[in-house]
Amino acid sequence: MSAMTARVFGVELRDELRAIVREPTSLFFSILMPVGFFVLFNLLYGHKVTGGVPAGTAMVATFGTYGVITVAALQPGIGVAQDRDLGWLRMKRVSAVPIGISLAAKATAALLYGVGVLALMGAAAEAFGTLHASAGQLVRVALVLLLGTVPFTLASVAVGLRFRTNATIALLNALLFPLAVLSGLWIPIQFLPQTVRQIARFLPTYHLAQLGLAQLGRGSMLIHILALLVTTAATLGLAMLAHRHART
Amino acid sequence: MGTTQRTTRAVMTAEGLRHRYGESLALDGVDLRVDPGECVALLGPNGAGKSTLVALTVGLLAPQQGSVRVLGGDPRRAATRRRLGVAQQTLGFPNTLTVDELVTGAAVRGGLRASAAGPVLAELGLAELRRRRVPKLSGGQKQRVQLAMALVTDPALLVLDEPTVGLDTSARRHFWQILARRRARGTAVLVTTHLIEESAAVADRVVVLDRGGILADAPPEELVARLPDRTVTVRTRLDRRELELLPGVLSVAADHDLVRIQTRAPEELLRALLDRDERLSELRVQDAGLEEAVLALTDRAEAAR
Repeated sequence: MSAMTARVFGVELRDELRAIVREPTSLFFSILMPVGFFVLFNLLYGHKVTGGVPAGTAMVATFGTYGVITVAALQPGIGVAQDRDLGWLRMKRVSAVPIGISLAAKATAALLYGVGVLALMGAAAEAFGTLHASAGQLVRVALVLLLGTVPFTLASVAVGLRFRTNATIALLNALLFPLAVLSGLWIPIQFLPQTVRQIARFLPTYHLAQLGLAQLGRGSMLIHILALLVTTAATLGLAMLAHRHART
Repeated sequence: MGTTQRTTRAVMTAEGLRHRYGESLALDGVDLRVDPGECVALLGPNGAGKSTLVALTVGLLAPQQGSVRVLGGDPRRAATRRRLGVAQQTLGFPNTLTVDELVTGAAVRGGLRASAAGPVLAELGLAELRRRRVPKLSGGQKQRVQLAMALVTDPALLVLDEPTVGLDTSARRHFWQILARRRARGTAVLVTTHLIEESAAVADRVVVLDRGGILADAPPEELVARLPDRTVTVRTRLDRRELELLPGVLSVAADHDLVRIQTRAPEELLRALLDRDERLSELRVQDAGLEEAVLALTDRAEAAR
């Protein structure tokens, strides 16, 4: 990355972070809701043990997945759609800013948001005495979940490049909610009906949560990594297609 | 059109530009040259091809046929685009940013240090507003912010799309004064506008586009001089139909009993008017303006099809 590209990326990231801090309404859906659910379920079921892992600790992976994909799937796509509606993306193109820099800044800002969500969840679980994992395990969970947001960010960008802001918000939320429920992000997958468990195997959110749980010593990783790689390739294709046809 | 030999290096050249959107031909062999410090106004009805020509000039579109060059370079290349300043009519700003952040951001995106924003903010009278966020700016202030963003990189070519729409008279005057200073330093301006009389006042050349082709490329006064039409303004009790039947009348525009009549035979028309309405008042005969000249050109082109 050249010095100039780095400076432009810095400006783009700074603008994204300012948007987050200065428009606190987005904090509600992106931070308060996932963390609020986490706190509620942790208080109710955090001390139970499921699959050899205390539920409160497992929730860091499952609710953590919900938390990071909420920001990764909502923020970049909505941001891109807003920029297009305003003519701001067109202005950047005219200013010779590669669209990849703008999108990378949006994805990075969402990741930083995700770090905040995970930190709050970890702190809450620690406070409730339901966190039974080593620092290394927690760092691995965080890294896996944050890395696992890539396909969701790409899908979000694809939607944002094709639809107007309101449609993007509606569509992404409409996708996010069933993904969270059917993948066992709120209620542990083993407590869900057999049909739902069968459906979950085809959902990337399920595989990301399972990959997070694997860092806490529950289950294998390979099949989930493969599923997420396939999803990433598919969403990358969608994002590239959306970019080609987008009218910025 | 634009055949005069010029020795200076052109800021922008377009040669044989043709561009289609599906079946629709947006540009049909357009040649254009803009020199340093020159202000060229692109005029023409909706769908004439102005937006396509601008999009090709700023590198948002690739030419399907022909070429467009800015300072000898391809405008689709980032290095060339950094020499361009663009202000578009439809641009909205993110509500979360301040004036200072918008203009410093434009400086950095253009390859400069953030500190380059200071002088431009002062030049455009925005220094006092630098901490103000977008939602608290008036329409005129937003226009100035956009101009500041376009000017901060000291561009060789400034491309403006309807830049003074929504500005009051004083703000408009200030706007063109700023551009006059920049033009004196060599910045060329390519402006698309529907405010034809305004372009007559500020442009060195007017390029009239219609259906993708250039109908005229000349200084505004030359375009007006080509038109033999005169405008007769008069307060009369004659109605529109009666007026249209008078000799030499090309068109009639009425505002109650005050009418504006286009004619190529003003003496004959005046005689007929005085003959039919003894209470005629507020009579004035003027040369046609640029607006009439442009309309005459597009009407003539339409009639020839």
